[in-house]
Amino acid sequence: MNALFPSAALAAGVLGSLGLGFLPRRAPALLRVLAVLSLGSALLLLGRVGEGAALPPLIASDALALAWQSVILLAALPMALWLDSDDARAALFLGSTLGMLLLASASNLLMLFVGLEFMSLPAYLLVVRSRGDEGRRLEAATKYFFAGGVGGALFLLGMALWYAQTRSLGPSALLVTGGAQAGLALMGACALFKIGAVPLHFWLPDAYEASDPEVAGFFSTAMKAAAVLLLMRLCRYAPGAAFAAWLPAVGALTALVGAVMALRQERLARLLAYSSVSHAGLLILGVGAWAARGLPPEGVSALLFYLAAYAFMSNGAFAFLRASGARTRADLAGYARRSPALAAAFAALLFSLAGIPPTGGFFAKLLVLWQSVQSGLLVPAGVAALAALVSLGFYLGLVRALYLEEPAGEGPRPGPGAGLTAALAAGAVLLGLAPWALAGGGL
Amino acid sequence: MTAPLFALLVNAVAVLLLVGAFANSGKLLGPRSRREGDADMPYETGLPPLSPANERMTVLYWRFAVLFVVFDVDLAFLLPWALGRPALDAVMVWAVTGFVALLSFMLAYFWRKGILECR
Repeated sequence: MNALFPSAALAAGVLGSLGLGFLPRRAPALLRVLAVLSLGSALLLLGRVGEGAALPPLIASDALALAWQSVILLAALPMALWLDSDDARAALFLGSTLGMLLLASASNLLMLFVGLEFMSLPAYLLVVRSRGDEGRRLEAATKYFFAGGVGGALFLLGMALWYAQTRSLGPSALLVTGGAQAGLALMGACALFKIGAVPLHFWLPDAYEASDPEVAGFFSTAMKAAAVLLLMRLCRYAPGAAFAAWLPAVGALTALVGAVMALRQERLARLLAYSSVSHAGLLILGVGAWAARGLPPEGVSALLFYLAAYAFMSNGAFAFLRASGARTRADLAGYARRSPALAAAFAALLFSLAGIPPTGGFFAKLLVLWQSVQSGLLVPAGVAALAALVSLGFYLGLVRALYLEEPAGEGPRPGPGAGLTAALAAGAVLLGLAPWALAGGGL
Repeated sequence: MTAPLFALLVNAVAVLLLVGAFANSGKLLGPRSRREGDADMPYETGLPPLSPANERMTVLYWRFAVLFVVFDVDLAFLLPWALGRPALDAVMVWAVTGFVALLSFMLAYFWRKGILECR
């Protein structure tokens, strides 16, 4: 039962935030406190779960699950600080996080699927319940919903093939062939869908642009972490999963296409969405490199560090969009003169996203590329490095707009959250100054 | 190519051919009709139709209908529970009590939010 305590804390948060909806007056502060308490107590309870706690055959808290669950909870924390008086939205957010926790500790295909859908269904509604233009929101949510539905169908089809061959929904200790391999590949495609790998990324920029910046930050960090873990679990589901051999190529392609597409974007949310596609490429490459080395249990520190650093960078960059109110590149022109501190924080986040030392993003990219080279994946690593070079173009272009261009017109109307942006930027930089604090033996 | 994969291929080709035949045989074999004037008009009890069929209309009770479906599906879970447990032990009783309490809580929530009213 121990293994379910963190999830229970989040479930209590879901019910509690709905319960706050019964109050006669709107209570945004109470909702925020409740969400932070719920995530925080889940984190504390996670420390007491202990490796090996299980609820066979559905749940097993191995080291991988515990590490990923803490990253997911930390990545979700900024969104909790942004909640407004919409109690249903708070419940959807906590429910989606609950699904991620279940997905992370699932030891059975059925539980993986339940976790996946538990994570995704509230996500579609979070897009709908954002504040932006209604038509755009509904369009993005519909696209996201149908794309996610196709992903879920792929997973179910793969699950059926796996069951037909192995007569079980659990992992296999033996080599599998034919239908089971095809099943794994289909389920892997679903995971790639959720991560936003090229060519399954088309829903992502729309969804990120139409939702509130903090929701986009939540999607790009916590949900991406959960989807990466899903991919890793599928690689480990049977010895010699054949689809893992494709991951380096998919990852390199994703990194490059994301970076090239981001070059052409004028709207900042869309630009950050493509940048998140590009980062997803490196994560997929990292999973491919891990698989190529035979899935060593201790070899996940590079991915974990990447996800932790990205949680700071991406949440921070989206928080800046909310704090500054900037929507397009033109809004950023000369922003350093309007608000020097906030501009400096955003510049630090951009440097980290671009992977310029000494920031967390630099070590994240370095670790993943280094592991790919060690695994003999020279060409994918080269393409990913090229993508990092291309991405300098738009990240540094934004920094140039911040500092060197002349401000024009009124400028964007600032919103709340400057402090949070600064804190996340500081975290991204600190991770680069002391990467061993998280990466441990991986360096 | 292994035998099951070959069978799958044969099956797929057969499905494509059959569906294609069903979908197009009417056009190929049926009588050619001259489609002009009122021939394309939807048939509505012999009267000329009042408006296009794909017009948007307000369904006042749609939230109510969606909620009904959701609760219906949730309550359907009680049937296998009732049938599959001839001897109810304490765990099962408490589990289903919790489940029903959760449903009641949600019903109260929707009530409070005014979703049960026909607006």
